[in-house]
Amino acid sequence: MMLLAALNPAEATREVMWNISHSWVMYMLLVPTMIIAGRGVYRQVQKWRAGQPAARFDRPAERIKRVVKHVLLQQATLRDRFAGVYHFLLFWGMITLTIATTVVLIHHDFSIDIMRGRFYLYFQSLFVDVLGVLAMTGVAMLAVRRWIVRPKKLVYTDESTWLLVLLFAILGTGFLLEGWRIAATNDPWGNWSPAGIVISKASLAVASVETLTTLHWLVWWFHMALVFGLIAWAPYTKLLHVLTAPLNIYTANLDAGGGTLKQIDFESAQSFGINSLEQFTWKDLLDLDACTECGRCTSVCPANTVGKQLSPRDIILDLQSLLDRNDLASRNSKSDGEQPDEYKPAFPVIGQTDNLSSDALFECTTCAACVEICPVSIEQLPKIVDMRRFQVMERAEFPQQMQDAISSLEGRGHPFKGTQLSRMDWAEGMDVPTIEDVDAPEVLLWVGCGGALVDRNQRSTRALANLLKQAGVNFAILGREETCTGDPARRIGNEFLFETLATQNIETLKTHNIKSVLTSCPHCFNTFRNEYPKLGGDFEVLHHTTYLAKLIGEGRLTLDAKAAERIAFHDPCYLGRHNGITDAPRKILKQLTGSAPAEMEKHGRQSFCCGGGGGLSFVDEPPDKRVNQERARQALDTNAETLAVGCPFCTTMMEDGINAVKGDREMVVKDIAEVMWETVSRE
Amino acid sequence: MKILVCLKQILDPDIPPRDFAIDRDNRRAARGSANLVTNIFCENALETALQLREKAEGEITALTFGPSSAEDVLRKALALKADHACLVEDEAGEYRNSATTALVLAAAIRKLGEFDLIMVGREAGDWGAGQTGGLLAEQLGLPSVSFVDSIEATADGVTLRRQTELGWEKVEATTPLVVTITNNDENVPRIPKTRDIMMSARKPVTNWKLSDIDVTCDDITAAGTALEVVDLAIPEKTTECEFIEGDSIDEKIDAFAKRLASIVQSA
Repeated sequence: MMLLAALNPAEATREVMWNISHSWVMYMLLVPTMIIAGRGVYRQVQKWRAGQPAARFDRPAERIKRVVKHVLLQQATLRDRFAGVYHFLLFWGMITLTIATTVVLIHHDFSIDIMRGRFYLYFQSLFVDVLGVLAMTGVAMLAVRRWIVRPKKLVYTDESTWLLVLLFAILGTGFLLEGWRIAATNDPWGNWSPAGIVISKASLAVASVETLTTLHWLVWWFHMALVFGLIAWAPYTKLLHVLTAPLNIYTANLDAGGGTLKQIDFESAQSFGINSLEQFTWKDLLDLDACTECGRCTSVCPANTVGKQLSPRDIILDLQSLLDRNDLASRNSKSDGEQPDEYKPAFPVIGQTDNLSSDALFECTTCAACVEICPVSIEQLPKIVDMRRFQVMERAEFPQQMQDAISSLEGRGHPFKGTQLSRMDWAEGMDVPTIEDVDAPEVLLWVGCGGALVDRNQRSTRALANLLKQAGVNFAILGREETCTGDPARRIGNEFLFETLATQNIETLKTHNIKSVLTSCPHCFNTFRNEYPKLGGDFEVLHHTTYLAKLIGEGRLTLDAKAAERIAFHDPCYLGRHNGITDAPRKILKQLTGSAPAEMEKHGRQSFCCGGGGGLSFVDEPPDKRVNQERARQALDTNAETLAVGCPFCTTMMEDGINAVKGDREMVVKDIAEVMWETVSRE
Repeated sequence: MKILVCLKQILDPDIPPRDFAIDRDNRRAARGSANLVTNIFCENALETALQLREKAEGEITALTFGPSSAEDVLRKALALKADHACLVEDEAGEYRNSATTALVLAAAIRKLGEFDLIMVGREAGDWGAGQTGGLLAEQLGLPSVSFVDSIEATADGVTLRRQTELGWEKVEATTPLVVTITNNDENVPRIPKTRDIMMSARKPVTNWKLSDIDVTCDDITAAGTALEVVDLAIPEKTTECEFIEGDSIDEKIDAFAKRLASIVQSA
C-alpha cells in the first residue's frame, strides 16, 4: 500500500522542515536580518533622493520592454559571452531557488498544501535541482574567471572574494541538505532530484543515517545563517545591484545616445557644470550604486585602451565611494546672506582622486562606447561632460588647445584656429548655389567646419556636391552665413557657447525657411537631430550616407562600374553608436563593390573611436598614446585597400593614424561620397 | 598698485590670407568678413597685469580708444576681472596712427587719475608700428621700458624683465612708469569664466567722447601729421620651384649649397 501510494505521482511530496524543530528561532533571526538589510537599502535611497530631479518614469511600455530585454533576458550582459553565460545561470538559478524557498514558506507557514504532485516533482524537485546545478556551474565559472583568467577589467577586492565564497557555501550546503534528507528519509521521490540523489548515495556510502541526520541538523542552521548573513550584508556590497540594476535599467535615458547631455538653466543654476555630489540627478547617483564593477566600460574606452588615465569604470566607482563616505542628507544650507564670489561645492568631486582629475576628464572623446556597453544602463558620458562643464565654465581650467578651439568658436564661428581656408574655398569653380540663389531648396547642404575649413576634406565635400548635382537635387548652401553647430563647444564643456551658437543657427535656418538639412558631418547631424529640437529648432536632418543611399534607391544616381578595390568601413561614433545609422553606408558600399565591406572586429554600434570626438581632434595627444593610431592598426588588419568613412573628423584622424603606423602596407582613406563619385554614372 | 592697461581692437589677424582685403583709396585694411578681436599683445599686457594683481594688491583699469565696437574688448577685460573700463569713442572712425592714439590715451589717462603702471602691448597685429607705448610715455612725461615680459612688484617700484636680441635684461624701475609688453610662456592670456562673461555685461563702462577729455580735432590733425601713409598694397606672393641637378648625392648637395649661397648673396 505504502509503495503504491508513494509511486502515485499525484501524491508525491516530501516532509517539509524535516529534522528541524524550534523553527521560530529562524523567524526571530529574520527580524534583525531584515532590519540590517532594510537600513542598508534605505540609506542608499536617501542618498539618491538628495540628487536633483530627473524625469525617468515616462513611457512605461518602453521601459518595461527594456527590463524584459536586459533584466529577464540579460541581452546586454550576454554580449560578453563567458561572463554573460555565468551571470545568466546565476541570475536564473538564484531566482528559481528563491521561488522554491517561497514555495516552502507558503506550504509550511501558510499551511497551503502546494508542494505536492506533479508540481512538486517537475518544478520543486527536478527543475529547482537542475537550476541549482546550473547556478553552481555559474559560481565555478565565476571562480575560474576571477582566480585563474583574471581579466584586467575586473576589480579585485576582498568583498568580491567573500561574496563568491558565500554564494558557493550557500549553494553547496543547500545540495548537502537535500542529499542528506533524501538519504535519511529514504525519499521515494529522490530520483527527481538528480544532484540530491548523487549526494545521498555518496553520503550513505561513507556515513550512517544517524550521522547524516545529525549533520543535516547542524548544516541546516549553518545554511540558514549564511543566507541571512548574505541578505543582511548584500545592500552594503556590490550585490546591491540586484535591486539597483533593474531599477536603473527601468529608469534609463530613452533619448538617442547623442541626445543625452543635460541642459543648463543659466539664470538659476547654482553653478555651471557639476563639482559636488548633490548636483547630480538622483538617477546619476543611482547609476553609481548600480555599478557591478564588471569593467566593460573601461575595457572598450579608446582613451584607456591607448594607456591614458581616463577610466569610466573608475570614475563611477570613485564617485560611488565618495557617495558612500558623505552623508548627503546632512548638507547644511549655510547662507551668510551674501552670494559668494565663487561656488563652493559641498561634496567636491573633481580632482578628489586621480580618476576624477581634470586631465582624465578631458581625455574623453565622448564616443559613448562605455554607455553603449554597460549592461545596467549607467551613463558615464553625461557625468564626464557635467564635470568638464565645471572646469570650463566655472574655473576656465582645461587643455590649452581646447581653449584655443573655444576662443576661435567665439570669435570666428569655427574651431580651427589659424586655418588658411575660408567657408567657400572648396566650392571654387563649381558653381554651387547659395541660399540667396535658390528659392525653396529640397535640402540645405550644411557643409560644416570640418568639411569646409580642413584642406583634406574639401575633396569629400566637392564629391558630395558633385553627387547632388549629378542626381539633380535642388540644393543650396548657406555659404558665409554658416557657423559651427556648437558640437565641439558642448562636448568640451562650454554649454553657454553651445547655446549661443545653436540659437543663432536655428534663427538663421528659420529666417531662410529651411525645412531639411543635409550634412556629411555626424557631429553636425547629431546636434541638429538630437539637440536643436530642445532649443526650438525642428528640422528634417539627413546624413549624407542615408541620403545618398536614398538617391541610389530612387534611381537618381546610378553606379557605373563596380569599384575594384577592397573596402572596409569605419563607423563614426556619432553616426553609428549615437544615432544607430550603420546600414546605409554598408548598403552603398555593397552596391559599389558587389560585396559587403570588410569589417573590423569593432564595428557598427561597437565601433572604436577615431580619437577625434569631444574636442580631442584639436589636441595633440602624446605620441605613444594616440587613439587614431590604435584604430588605424585595427583598420590595416582588414587588409582592405580603402578605408571608407562618413565623417570629416574621422577622415583626417584615420588618415593621420594610418600614415603613422602603416609601414609598408597601403591603405587610403576616403569619404563615402568620394568613393561613390568615382563610380557613379556621369552625364 | 594702480595699473592701467591699454587695449586695442583690431581686425582678426588670423583670417585666411585670401579673405584679407585692403581699401587702397583710404589706405586702410577693409573689414571684409573679418571679426574684431583684441590685439594679442594687449591681451598679454592684460594677463601680465592680472598676474601682478594676484601677487600685489591693486586695481586694474582697462582703456581703449576706438569706435563704439571697441567696447567689446573692454567687456572681455571686465570678464577677466579688470576693475574699471573706459572707452574713448572715436566717432569719426578714421584711421589713427600711433601719434594720435598716444595723444588721446594720454589725455584720457590724465583725466582718469594717477597710475603706478601703464601697460601697453608691444605692437598691434594690424599695423605693427610698435610706437604707441613710447609716444604715450613721451606725452605723459614718464619713463618707459619696452619689450617687458614679466613684472614683479618691489617695495619702491617694480622689477622688470625685458627681452632683447641677446637675452633677458632685468630692470629695476620706480613708478609711475610706462611699459610695453611682449609675450612669453607665462603671459598666455587666460580665458574668462562663463559666469564672469555674463556678469561683465552688467558692469559699467565709462564712455567718453573726445570732447570729454579736451582733445580737439585740431589737436588730432596736428598730432597725425607726424606720420603719413603714402600707399598701401598687399604684396604679391609668387612661388618659384627649382630642382637642383647632379649625378650623385654629393654633387647635388654641393650644387644645392652653392645655389643657396648665391640666393643669399643676391638678397
